[in-house]
Amino acid sequence: MAENNLELTRNQKEVELFFGPNHPGMHGNFSVHLKLEGDTVVQAEPVPGFLHRGFEKLMERRLWMSNLALIPRICVPEPDINEMVYAMAVERLSELQVPPRGNWIRVLILELARINAHLMSIGGLGGASGLYTDMYWAMTERDWILDIFEKITGARVYHMYIVIGGVRQDLPEGIVPFILERLDGLERRLKEFHDLLYKNPVLHARLKDRLILNRSMCEEMCITGIGLRATGIPHDIRRVDPYAAYEEMDFDIPTGEKGDALTRGHLKLLEVEQSIRIIRQVLAKIPSGPVRQKPLGNALRWRVPAGETFEHVESSRGEYGYYVVSDGSEKPYRIHVRGASYPQGLYGVQRYMPGTRIEDVALWLGTMDFCPPEIDR
Amino acid sequence: MPGYSLHRENEDQLLDELMQQVRNKEKIDERSMWQKIADWAQARSIYMLHYCTGCGAIELPPTMTSRFDMERFGIGPMATPRQADVLLITGYLAAKTLRRVILTYEQMQTPKFVMGFGSCTLNGGIYYDSYSTIQRLDLYLPVDLYIAGCMPRPEAIIMGFNRLKQMISSGDIQGWKDYEKRHDWYRKNQDKALKGEVYVTR
Amino acid sequence: MSPKKRVAMELDPLFERLQPAEVFFTPDGKQLFLLLEPERFMDGLVTLKNAGFSHLSLVSCVDWLERGEFELVYHLLRWEDGKRVALKVRIDRENPVFQTVLHLWPTARFYERDIHEFFGVVFEGNADREPLFLEHWDDIPPMRKDFDPQPYSQKIFDEREYQHPFVPHIVQANPDRLPWEETIDEAKKGGETNGGK
Repeated sequence: MAENNLELTRNQKEVELFFGPNHPGMHGNFSVHLKLEGDTVVQAEPVPGFLHRGFEKLMERRLWMSNLALIPRICVPEPDINEMVYAMAVERLSELQVPPRGNWIRVLILELARINAHLMSIGGLGGASGLYTDMYWAMTERDWILDIFEKITGARVYHMYIVIGGVRQDLPEGIVPFILERLDGLERRLKEFHDLLYKNPVLHARLKDRLILNRSMCEEMCITGIGLRATGIPHDIRRVDPYAAYEEMDFDIPTGEKGDALTRGHLKLLEVEQSIRIIRQVLAKIPSGPVRQKPLGNALRWRVPAGETFEHVESSRGEYGYYVVSDGSEKPYRIHVRGASYPQGLYGVQRYMPGTRIEDVALWLGTMDFCPPEIDR
Repeated sequence: MPGYSLHRENEDQLLDELMQQVRNKEKIDERSMWQKIADWAQARSIYMLHYCTGCGAIELPPTMTSRFDMERFGIGPMATPRQADVLLITGYLAAKTLRRVILTYEQMQTPKFVMGFGSCTLNGGIYYDSYSTIQRLDLYLPVDLYIAGCMPRPEAIIMGFNRLKQMISSGDIQGWKDYEKRHDWYRKNQDKALKGEVYVTR
Repeated sequence: MSPKKRVAMELDPLFERLQPAEVFFTPDGKQLFLLLEPERFMDGLVTLKNAGFSHLSLVSCVDWLERGEFELVYHLLRWEDGKRVALKVRIDRENPVFQTVLHLWPTARFYERDIHEFFGVVFEGNADREPLFLEHWDDIPPMRKDFDPQPYSQKIFDEREYQHPFVPHIVQANPDRLPWEETIDEAKKGGETNGGK
């Protein structure tokens, strides 16, 4: 619960409030120190670090193969992007070719993870604005997708399925009708989400034309993802710099016009629809063959040739990347993680949260695609 | 070790060992009638503090919502520590979070319970060599129950809560009493890990 | 034409203006890392930003302990065609000082604060030096290569001690036979196998 620390400053008007780590409106474990005048925020200071585990140091101490167990835990709602960029970086340095079927299965997993993360964010919007029905619906929908993950990979949350050279094992029997059935159900219920959230006059009053993120703000902060696309610029890494099998996929990039909070929320539903469209294409046209090209030799003794690379993918929140440096030994030399919500979570809060009202602080963080574990690493 | 394998020389020895175990478990219930009723009622109405301290918290919303509904057991979320009963430490704890968690725990009213989620509260888990996460939770807070997993499934969480309810209604919970009795020992451990500054309101 | 030559030729005019000291490629030639001298670094960044590389993805720091240098890497992206370039600069490890890029990209404020906290690099012009992630840190900056996290962790956070009552019974294996072949032979003879205990 936020602690009310009534410190009257010199001009006797400002109140200091800690929108602290233990708060039901906070999306994760993160803290913002606010200074208020009346109901308006005049200064906001982000305080990350509550989830800091020192990942980059831990990754330098483990073998290339052992890191696969550690890295999904960097971004908790969408762990497959971590495995994807790590595998892409090592494959680029060791010049491995992933078989086509492996690439298509990677697209399937990444799009399912994107649907999961968007559903979680839609539920968080409901929780931050007081509409708990939305949170319950979104979490239930997410559970049906977690069942698909459990059938394919064996685990609900941390899969460790995308490995160096492809994917760990082939799809099980009978999975295609199972996925199609779940996707049909999700598509039917998307219309109910739309009616609940985006035709709701209360949410319109709270989100429409408020919390605006316009084009100049995006360029100043180097924001990517839905925040950038809501201002009308269709930049998506899957189109601009394709990876896995995205060149052969047919999908649209939904954009908005004004960049207000309602548009950003609406784009999430549209992106879920596009992800379902991509998954249907994958399941209809997936090629057959091996799913993994194994590097030669004992997996615990791989040596990646010396070099460096920066790999990025389009996660549900924006550009997510790893900078991997190898010096030719059995352990990585340096891995630097670029969290997708680093710009808006730190610089955005400091520069653009002042001016909003106290009741919009939770919504600001909820609609700005924000995930504390990837900031803290 | 007794109880781990039923291979014995003859059946009489097996019977003797089992009877010994039964006698060890018989205890005299010393609670008054009012206390028994209060414990029975407390076990059926538990408020869980909604504080996501680590990555294990991602399996809490599925446990609370419609599929693995937790409210049918009488467990519901609560925003403020002053009115909560259970503090869930979901996963690892960075030292920065531990300061706030200790303040939160001491703000809760007795009787209060602490549950440790996942293997990071037991022995550091996968972050055993990290410079910023703790290795053992029960040096700093009295833990009543651990739930194994990385991370525990909703079914495991519900099983853990059922065990907690059983422990409450039989009067076995001693965690908060232990914290009051041995506060100096806990405080000494907290000072060592948090470098002297334990209570932080920021 | 090899991919490396193709990439180099497309960016040739930019190369001449930047005058890199060294050029690194990834094995397939698709990514480019240019090492510039510290004096020419700011001009290089401004040139690239005016050529369309307006998105700063990341500012990283790599610690080369043997050479005694820190290497700062600035990753840039051009959205129109998806080209990525990274600029590198090397600074001294004993006295790490460098200029800030706040005037070009305001979002670099927090990347530089992050590097200051974890490596100890001082950025002139960026007055934000408060620790961001760590609280009450009393050792050398933790991402440096001469910091070992495990002894630090064992000193401050006590570990759980486990007792090991199990004493293994080691049998000398026959190097000519596989271990399970011996068990199958004994079962065929009619004796009790080890698997039943």
